[in-house]
Amino acid sequence: MARADFITGLALIFLSLYVIIESWQMPRLEHLKVHPLSVPGVVPAFIGMVLLLFGTVLTIRSIRRGGHRLRLTEEGLRRLYQDPGNQRLLLTAILSIGYAGFLIGNLPYGLATGLFIFVFVLLFEWEPGMSSAKRRRGVMTAALIATLSSAAITLVFERLFLVSLP
Amino acid sequence: MTGLIDNLARFLSAIGGFTTPLALFHMAWSTLLGIMIGALPGLTATMGIALITTLTYKLSADLAILVLICVYVGAIYGGSRTAILINIPGTPANAATTLDGFPLAMQGLAGRAMGVATSGSVLGSFIGMFFLATIAPLLGNYALKFQSFEFFWLAIFGIVISGHLTALEDPIKGWIAGFLGLLVAMVGQEGIHAYERFTYGKTELLGGFALIPAMVGAFGFAEVLSVMQNPPAEKAESPRDSIIPKLADVLRYWRTIIRSGLIGTLIGIIPGVGEDIGAWVSYAAARRKSKEREKFGKGSIEGLMAAETGNNAVVPGAIIPALTLAIPGSAPAAVLLAAMFIHGLRPGPLIMVESPQFVYQVVAMVFFATLAILIYGVGLSKLLLKVLAIPRTRLMPVVFVLCAIGSYAITNRTFDIWVMIGFGIIGYILRKMKYPMAPLVLGIILGDLMDKNLRRGLVLTDGDLTPFFTRPICVVLWLITFSSIILSIDPLRHLLREVLRLVWSKSRGPFYRRTA
Repeated sequence: MARADFITGLALIFLSLYVIIESWQMPRLEHLKVHPLSVPGVVPAFIGMVLLLFGTVLTIRSIRRGGHRLRLTEEGLRRLYQDPGNQRLLLTAILSIGYAGFLIGNLPYGLATGLFIFVFVLLFEWEPGMSSAKRRRGVMTAALIATLSSAAITLVFERLFLVSLP
Repeated sequence: MTGLIDNLARFLSAIGGFTTPLALFHMAWSTLLGIMIGALPGLTATMGIALITTLTYKLSADLAILVLICVYVGAIYGGSRTAILINIPGTPANAATTLDGFPLAMQGLAGRAMGVATSGSVLGSFIGMFFLATIAPLLGNYALKFQSFEFFWLAIFGIVISGHLTALEDPIKGWIAGFLGLLVAMVGQEGIHAYERFTYGKTELLGGFALIPAMVGAFGFAEVLSVMQNPPAEKAESPRDSIIPKLADVLRYWRTIIRSGLIGTLIGIIPGVGEDIGAWVSYAAARRKSKEREKFGKGSIEGLMAAETGNNAVVPGAIIPALTLAIPGSAPAAVLLAAMFIHGLRPGPLIMVESPQFVYQVVAMVFFATLAILIYGVGLSKLLLKVLAIPRTRLMPVVFVLCAIGSYAITNRTFDIWVMIGFGIIGYILRKMKYPMAPLVLGIILGDLMDKNLRRGLVLTDGDLTPFFTRPICVVLWLITFSSIILSIDPLRHLLREVLRLVWSKSRGPFYRRTA
C-alpha cells in the first residue's frame, strides 16, 4: 500500500498544482466590478490547496514507509498479469468499455446489447477441454440469455420509459 | 400540542394516500427487488437505487420516491441473508452481521438468525422512522436560521466527518476522497457569475458531471469489475429451522434494540457516514454493555440483533438531513436526494415551509417499506436462494447493460455513458487503494453548496472571516471539524496532549507537580 500511496500522493500533488494554476488564471471579472472574493477561482483554489496539503502528507508518509522504492520488475508484472483475478478484471473492462464506448451508437441498440451479453457469458463460462455437447449447451445458453435480456431491456426502455435508444 | 396533532394528521393522510392498488403494487415489487439487490453480493443499496432511479423517470414524484425508499430499506435488509448464509455481506452495511450471523448458521440456526435479522431490521427502521417524523420538522425549522456561514461549515463538516468515520484506519484517505468530490463538483458553469470552470469548451460539461451517471459508475461499474475479479461466492443452502422472528428474542434484547436504533439514527443523521458504520458502532456498543460478551463473534443473538437494528435505523436517519438540509446522511441517501431533484422536489431548509406534507409522505414510505420487509422476511426464503444461485457471469453483463442505458436515459446523451465508465474506473482504483466512496459522493453533492456559500459569505462580510468563526452554530461545526482532524494526526495529538498536561499542571500549582 505504501507504493500505491506514493504514486497517489504524487498524482494528487500534480493534480492540485494544476488546479491551483488554473484557478489563478480564471478571470477576476474586474470590468464587472465584482467583489474580488467572489471570483470563480476562489473555491477551486481553496480545494486545490487542501489537496496539495493532503498529497504532500501522503507522499512524505509513503516515503518514510519505503513506498518510493517501486521495485518494478518484469517478473512482478508477469505475475500480476497471470493472476486469474486480474485476467478476469481485464477481460471485463475490455468487454464493458468496448460495448458501452464503441458498440452502442454504432450498432442498433438491441443487437449491440445482445452481442455484448452473448460474448460476455460465453467467454466467462468457457472452460478449456469442454466436451462438444457442453460447448453447444454453453453457446445455446449464452444466446438465450443474450436474446431475452436484450429484448426485455430494449422493450422496457423504448416502449415503457419512452427513451430514444442510442 | 396542536402541532403534534397536525403532524399526526399529515402522517395518517400520507398513509391513506399510499393505500391505493397502484402504490401497493409499486411497494411490493420494489421492496422485493431491493431485497434481491441487497442479497446479491456485489450489488449494493447505492447501486440499486442509482439504477432504479433510471427506471422511475416516468413515474409521478411520490411514487418514484416510494419505489426508491422501498429499494433502499429492502436492500439494507436483504444483505443480511447472504451475510448469514454464506458469510459474505450482501451490502457493506451487513459486514457486522456476518460476525454472529454466520456462526449461528454453522450451528444449524440459520433460520433463527434470519428471524433475528428480520425483527432487528424492522424495529430499527421503526425507531429511525419515529425520529424522522419528530426530528425532521424541527431540524427543518431550525435550518431556516442558517446563513451562508453555517452552510459553508456544514459542507466542510460533512466531508471531514464522513471522511474520518468511513476511513477510520486512515482518515486522510477519506478526506482526500471528499475533497476530490468537491473538486469534481467545480466542473461546469458556476452559480454566481456563470463562468465555465474546467469545461475546456465542451458543451456537455456546462452543467457539470451529472450525478446519476457518476454514481452508477462509481457504485455500479466499479462493483461489476470487483465482482468479476474476486473468486465466485459459495452456494447458499436452505435453512433447516424456522425463519419466523421470535417475540422472545425481541423482549429479551429490548435494551439492545432501542440503543442500536438510537445509535443507527444518530449515525444516519451525520452527513455521508452510512449504514455500515451504524451497524459497527451499534455492535460495539452492544458488546460493551452485554452480560454475555463472550458469545459475541461466536453466534450471539444480541450481536446480530444490534448490527441489524443499527444498519436499518440509519436509513430513516440518513433521510433526515437529506430532506431538511439537502445534505445526505449516507451514499444511498445521496442518490435518493439526486432523484428528488430530478423529480422536481426541493429538499432543503424550506421543505417545512413549502411542502411539509412531503416529509410525512416520506415517513409513510419508510413505514410501508418496513412492513414489506417484515412480510417478505417471514415469507421469502426459497425465491431468494434461487436468486442467489444465479452465476455472476450471467448477472454482471446484464447489470452493466443497465448501468450504460440508465446513465444514457436521463438526458439521452452518450457522453453520460463515458462519464459512467470514467467514474467506474476511478471508483474501482480508489476502492482498491482503500479510499471510501461515501465522502466522494458527498463531495460531489456538497460542492455547489460550499462554493456558493463561501463566496457569498465573504462578499457579505467584505472579506472578513470573523462570522465564519464566531456565529454559534459555526463555532460548534468548526470545533468538531478541527478536533476530528487534529485528533487523527499522531504528532498533533501528542502535541495537544502535552499542551493540555502543561496547562493542567500549571493550573493545579506546585503541589500538584510534586505529587503527580
